[in-house]
Amino acid sequence: MSYWEIFTWLTVITLGIGSIVVFMFFIKDIKHILEKFQKGKNEV
Amino acid sequence: MYPLEIIDYVIVIGYLSMMVGVGLWFAKKHTDFEDFFLAGRSLTTPILITTLISTYYGIDVLFGDTQLAFTDGVVAWFGYARPTYAFFLIAALLLAKRLRENDFRSLPDILHLYYGDKARYVGALTSFIYSLPALSLYGFGMLAEVVLGLDPIIGMLVLGGIALVYTLTGGFWAVALTDSIQFVMMCLVIAISFPFAMNFIGGFDSMVKLLPESYFDTMGDLNIFLIIIYASTGLSILVEPTFYQRIFAAKSYKNVRNALIIGIFIWGSYDWIITILAMSAKTAVIQGALPLNIAPDAALLTVAIAALPAGIVGLFIAGVLSTEMSTLDSYCLVAGGNVSYDIYRPAFKPDISDKELIKVTRYGVLLSWVLGFGMASVFQQMLGLWVFLSSILISSTLIPIILGLYFKNFRKPLAGFISSASGLFSTVVLNIYIMLKGTFDPSEETYIVHWFGIDFLQEFVMYITVPISVAGFFVGLFIDSREH
Repeated sequence: MSYWEIFTWLTVITLGIGSIVVFMFFIKDIKHILEKFQKGKNEV
Repeated sequence: MYPLEIIDYVIVIGYLSMMVGVGLWFAKKHTDFEDFFLAGRSLTTPILITTLISTYYGIDVLFGDTQLAFTDGVVAWFGYARPTYAFFLIAALLLAKRLRENDFRSLPDILHLYYGDKARYVGALTSFIYSLPALSLYGFGMLAEVVLGLDPIIGMLVLGGIALVYTLTGGFWAVALTDSIQFVMMCLVIAISFPFAMNFIGGFDSMVKLLPESYFDTMGDLNIFLIIIYASTGLSILVEPTFYQRIFAAKSYKNVRNALIIGIFIWGSYDWIITILAMSAKTAVIQGALPLNIAPDAALLTVAIAALPAGIVGLFIAGVLSTEMSTLDSYCLVAGGNVSYDIYRPAFKPDISDKELIKVTRYGVLLSWVLGFGMASVFQQMLGLWVFLSSILISSTLIPIILGLYFKNFRKPLAGFISSASGLFSTVVLNIYIMLKGTFDPSEETYIVHWFGIDFLQEFVMYITVPISVAGFFVGLFIDSREH
């Protein structure tokens, strides 16, 4: 396996796992945001 | 047109419906303009990462990078993509902190605070022109034609129309939320495509064996002047209106800094994989697995559709649509804000209510979409248009904004106005001159004029207009010091 290939697999792992991890944190944050919107709607 | 299975169409239609649903859900949920335009300044690090990455990467980057990788190899990453990360780092560590020191809402707001109304209007006009979604709509037209076999105009109307609907109804919250879904789609499909592409060409070693050695040369066959030009296009990050909007919409500076630093790793990985995918397309052409006449800018699309199984192809197309939709919605919203907040409000109705401001922003979004549609339908050379728009932004706003941010003594109205106006005027005049008097070179994909025995490319315009903007700034300072 060449250095180019090793580097490419590292980027695949970074992109694949990184995007999923970021998205999971995003889901956690967005829950609070949606609750805020729901609360605002109920107040109206 | 590529043959697609029913499952692929189902995935694409399901994805498009979801985007519209998100926009409609957020409709009428905004409490004020800041909520509509900046999501209430409450974006956290993960939301910033997703919206920054998906907005900055449109089809122009996706196909532009891969076009260079297909024809020249890894230089596409080392020479074209990599310098951009340095500018992101500068933005993360130096620029964002300064920008967060005041409650700015838009890029022209900065010019207004430092230099007054005249500079604000020039900045608003520049930002509006730069944010017209012509390139994104053109990308939709090309996608619809190449992938679905539709007329490009229909593709622009349908796909661009969907992004318009959720931007108009949902504002920045809808943009940020759809950006996040689009982010994960575009990243995952690119990551998944790599093993399939390697399987298609018989492994990474086939690529190393079949491609010319120059494909693995970090600086390739490109001359140093062209590499410097590519690198300098990264300067636009320092005055990018959508980028600024996200900095202003963040909860704190810390969120922006962390998002940009984490983002650099994701951007770098994404760029590298699409570079390798384009090189695998070239390998497949040499092997005879793909046709000889494949267009370099369609290399990524061609190899992905050939290598991926049914279902995953649908996801890939949804991912490519995501790449473009996330760009189009953000630029339309910024252009809408320029019309309402930066021009209409100060010029015609300073006491405008938030409700009316949101309404005028929606008209501005619609106006930008229509003008962008007109440009995309008329212009044949999109690369030239991109160079024109970028050079307008950099030449008109970079000098007054950066100097104003870091040197309080330089904040003189005349300096900001002359700098931004001379940058804007000289860029428009020079670009029009080169496009009218120059000849289009298909190999360079740009207009060239011969000046003093030198081939002057359209991309070189900034080397004249930025110094003009610098000179204009100091002339303004000089006049101001004489008057006072």
